[in-house]
Amino acid sequence: MSTLLTAEYGVENITKSFGGAKALNGVSLTVKSDEVHCIAGENGSGKSTLIKIMSGVHAPDSGLIHLGQKSFPALSPREAVREGVQVIFQDFSLLPNLTVAENIALPAYISKESFFLSKKKTKEIALEALNLIGIDLDINASVADTSIASKQLIAIARATNLDAKIIFMDEPTTALTRKEIKRLFEVVEQIKARGVATVFVSHKIDEIQEICNTITILRNGEVVADGLMKEFKRDAISEAMTGLNISESRIAPTLRKSTSKVIEVSNLTTKPTFSNISFAIAPGEILGVTGLLGSGRTELAEAIFGQYPIDSGQIIVNEKSVKLNSPSAALKAGIGYVPPDRLTQGLFLEQSIMRNVVSVGIDQYQSRGGGLAKNRLLSAGERWIKELRIKTKNSLNPASSLSGGNQQRVVLAKWLAMNPRLMILNGPTVGVDIGSKREILEIIRDRAQEGMAFLIVSDDIPELIQICHRILVIKNGEISKEFDASELSESSLYVELS
Amino acid sequence: MNKNLAKFKTGLLADRKMTQLMAITGITFVFFSLVSRDIFFSSANFTSMAYQIPEIAILSIAVMLSMLTGGIDLSIVSISNAAALVAVWIMTSHMDDSGNAPLNWIVIACIAGIIVGLLAGAVNAILVASLNVTPILATLATMTLFNGIAIGLTDGVSISGLPEEFVRVGNGTFFGIPTPFVLMVGIGLAVGLLINRTTLGLKIFLVGTNRKAAQYSVMGDRKVIAWVYVISGLLSSFAGLIIASRTSSASPDFGSSYILLAIVIVVLGGINPNGGFGTVTGVILATTVLQMIASGFNALRFSQFFYLVSQGGVLIFVMILNVVLERRKVQRSIIRNLKS
Amino acid sequence: MNYRKLLLRNETALIVAIAVLSISIGLKSPEFYTISTLFDLFRSSFVQLIFALGVLVVIVSGGIDVSFPVVGIFSGYTAVVLMQRFEWDTNSLLIPIALSIGIGIFLGAINAIAIAGFGIPTLIATLGTSGIFRGILLTLIGSSFISNIPAGLDKFATADLIRLETEQGTLARLHVLIIPVAIITILVSLILNRTMFGRSIYALGGGVEATRRLGISVKRTQAKIYMFAGGLSGLAGILYVSLQRKANPNDLTGSELDIIAAVVLGGASIMGGYGTVFGTVLGVLLISLIKGNLILLGVSGSWQRAAVGALLLIGIIVQAVNESKRAKSRRVATNDEAGQ
Repeated sequence: MSTLLTAEYGVENITKSFGGAKALNGVSLTVKSDEVHCIAGENGSGKSTLIKIMSGVHAPDSGLIHLGQKSFPALSPREAVREGVQVIFQDFSLLPNLTVAENIALPAYISKESFFLSKKKTKEIALEALNLIGIDLDINASVADTSIASKQLIAIARATNLDAKIIFMDEPTTALTRKEIKRLFEVVEQIKARGVATVFVSHKIDEIQEICNTITILRNGEVVADGLMKEFKRDAISEAMTGLNISESRIAPTLRKSTSKVIEVSNLTTKPTFSNISFAIAPGEILGVTGLLGSGRTELAEAIFGQYPIDSGQIIVNEKSVKLNSPSAALKAGIGYVPPDRLTQGLFLEQSIMRNVVSVGIDQYQSRGGGLAKNRLLSAGERWIKELRIKTKNSLNPASSLSGGNQQRVVLAKWLAMNPRLMILNGPTVGVDIGSKREILEIIRDRAQEGMAFLIVSDDIPELIQICHRILVIKNGEISKEFDASELSESSLYVELS
Repeated sequence: MNKNLAKFKTGLLADRKMTQLMAITGITFVFFSLVSRDIFFSSANFTSMAYQIPEIAILSIAVMLSMLTGGIDLSIVSISNAAALVAVWIMTSHMDDSGNAPLNWIVIACIAGIIVGLLAGAVNAILVASLNVTPILATLATMTLFNGIAIGLTDGVSISGLPEEFVRVGNGTFFGIPTPFVLMVGIGLAVGLLINRTTLGLKIFLVGTNRKAAQYSVMGDRKVIAWVYVISGLLSSFAGLIIASRTSSASPDFGSSYILLAIVIVVLGGINPNGGFGTVTGVILATTVLQMIASGFNALRFSQFFYLVSQGGVLIFVMILNVVLERRKVQRSIIRNLKS
Repeated sequence: MNYRKLLLRNETALIVAIAVLSISIGLKSPEFYTISTLFDLFRSSFVQLIFALGVLVVIVSGGIDVSFPVVGIFSGYTAVVLMQRFEWDTNSLLIPIALSIGIGIFLGAINAIAIAGFGIPTLIATLGTSGIFRGILLTLIGSSFISNIPAGLDKFATADLIRLETEQGTLARLHVLIIPVAIITILVSLILNRTMFGRSIYALGGGVEATRRLGISVKRTQAKIYMFAGGLSGLAGILYVSLQRKANPNDLTGSELDIIAAVVLGGASIMGGYGTVFGTVLGVLLISLIKGNLILLGVSGSWQRAAVGALLLIGIIVQAVNESKRAKSRRVATNDEAGQ
């Protein structure tokens, strides 16, 4: 209690669960008004949940939130705004049907509790905010038509130009170039000088070291370390975040020499998303693709899955030229895709695990009479639970009852069940606990050893280095460099990314 | 042991919604039987209910299908009227003065009505599945159009006095059970088999649970949705023919309050996204409950408008109940997790 | 290519449609080109427009309200009944209008409780409340036709702003309502564009969660929306009663389709977030034009609904095709003006 009297903002003993999964367990932290405080942790460590609790988006199951002199058992977003909280959300939380100007200006009107708006004032507020971060955007454009990087900048502009008392930034640099990140850090320093507290959430250790004064490290929903930034060495941070000794061994299987290629892509172009993409993957090879958020990496992966249009270029699968203009064409060509957001794109949460596992190949389960062969469905469900070691007592339990790591295995299972030649994975271990992460990578390795080709899109550099044979870096829709992952250091990859 | 327990868990009885529904059916029945001993609890009443339940149940099953995929078909009543009108027009133009028509013309008329249902369903299917129009809007538009065409062609006048042979179906019995009721059971079984025992059925549940994931799972989600609206149109045409047969007439504006009733029934019957036979049975049970309320109110001399109030009331009440129960479930799980 | 351009396109398309329609009608029946046609068009659009503005507000927020006609007639009819029961000043215009608006707001509040309070999906909630309201109106307040409405209201029906003798010898009358209706229309537009309440409505249509996170009270805004729409419906209801010079509790039901069609044709997206007052005005004019002058095109009046349905269908197909074109052309840009 006494430590909190001097602190300005923070939480005390916060616990939060969603369904069966505990996201935060007894988390406490404090932030002073003249410091930049980092919350470091892997994806899935609870960082975003903590931000959402402190900004009123979620209510904690137990614990207190301290904002200045006041304490709250729970907040509403409205109360949080009134207490001076502003947030840059990881998903930006913008309003696509409104203009850039309006998106930036609305919080200003809200905090002043204005009744009226004027177009002129809106534009003024927006231009002022953009000036502050040194960015030039068409403020009359509809947000729906802007690029992802622009959206991130709009979200930043929106939060930073107000008389906020504390600003939370949840992974604010995922789509930004080095130049833009530098500018953002300058803004953070300006904010600090004004006496505004900043909470900077990230999993990128380089950035954390550059900008933060104090740090709290979360792992699996608990605080594992905190203190002054200068007392933490890079390795210590990494180890605290992952709970492992950093030197994680490579587990990519040895590549068997092969002249045949599972897939050959030449000069794939879709303006303005990606252009002149060419690469090939041999059987048993694991190719990594990385780049900033909005660099075109996801769209490229989805294009090869037939989910995104291709303007020109050629794709050859197993020596045959194919037109991948739909996911079913891709499936027919033997290509599978694990999408990045398992909750909205990969799983049928209320349905049973069994139904999820068979969801891609349902037509295979037709019995002779034309009906559904239920016994075969059941056995398929049980087979994959066993094979991928999915932790559940019953294949008929809903997928929502599983933990993140096990849910990801279900999504993997449904595609492995189709035995594809090429598996495209987009962010395969996002929000997955460390144990499941390793096991998923092992599953990938085992399949690769049997000849399955993999294309892994990810922004988790250490993971890519662990599992891939080669890594492509995408910048502005083009391949900027190709790396041989076996002798690669993380830093060279980071340099190329920015 | 686990497997048997699991089977029991997904069986008919253990579905909590189903047991609740059966309880509600039982309670409603007992209530009205006690309160109106002579009028409600009479074979005349039960028989009349048995004749009126089928058409509404079939329409409700159609709505259930579209709601299972996360959409809704508001045009069911206009399709049923249109199908009835076409069939009836063909029938009556081949009817002689004594009110008889050759059997083959009646059959042709019915087939024509069914084709109308299929075509109308196909229009909905094209709008919702191919053009990606929101189901509410698409079926609102087709409802207006089909209804409008029916009014235009008939000048708003209903056709009555149908061939004896045809009317016999809607008012006769099949081994002692009212024919429409038998038809309803048959249709119910067919739809139940479709959603629980076929690949299309499984896909319907998955598409309704998460359309995006269904797209990424390459299961032909568009085709699934298209089928659902075509089948909904087909079922609506069946209902239309049964109505025409029972009332010996067809009109463009019949049953305008049926769409609200059907939605109340589906919500009451509990759409269980996991399926299990409970869903079609639930709809039939819910239809029975509402029909009992209707005839009970009638027996108690309540105004028919009061029935309208209760429809809306039941709908809102059940939805609020769902919300409250869901909130309580979340509260309980929070408490459980805090303790762990 | 942003939606604003599309919306502009939508409104120009409407203006073109109105022009083409007017010319076609005029070609077939030159008597169309009289000032009385214009004045009659306005007169038949007043009530529709007031309803449509309420519907617009709801649709922009991402919801849908099918209870508005019932709210309208409930408020209007009840206002008349109250005036007669309590023998209030029958010459007053203000009292019945204020009463009706007040009752409309009250009914809108009930919608608000169901939607904002309990989170019931808007279509189902308003379907339910429309049944409840209609039932209560017909059972508790009265199901009879009142033809001697209070004098003030009755006289208002013929309160004309301009009276012109036409060449044909008939009277072209521009009703005085043109002024208040124009004022209300402009007011609604100002509210939608220049107040936080209005922008919150668009924000809700753009994303409920994003709006909530901004610190806007979603529930409070929704409550205001449905009460606002209720008030407008109440106003429309009493104006209807006045212009018709009778209060019939069975009126207006079924007119949802025309008004929703007008709003959707006017460019409002049923998904929410888009829609303008100007577009709605054009939509209402187009629908009124069609409905009022079908006869002049040589088409019997019983085809009115089909015409509206066809228009709506064309409108949503065009919107859907445009939407898919936009989605295709809106590819992810990996580099744009940001930071360049």
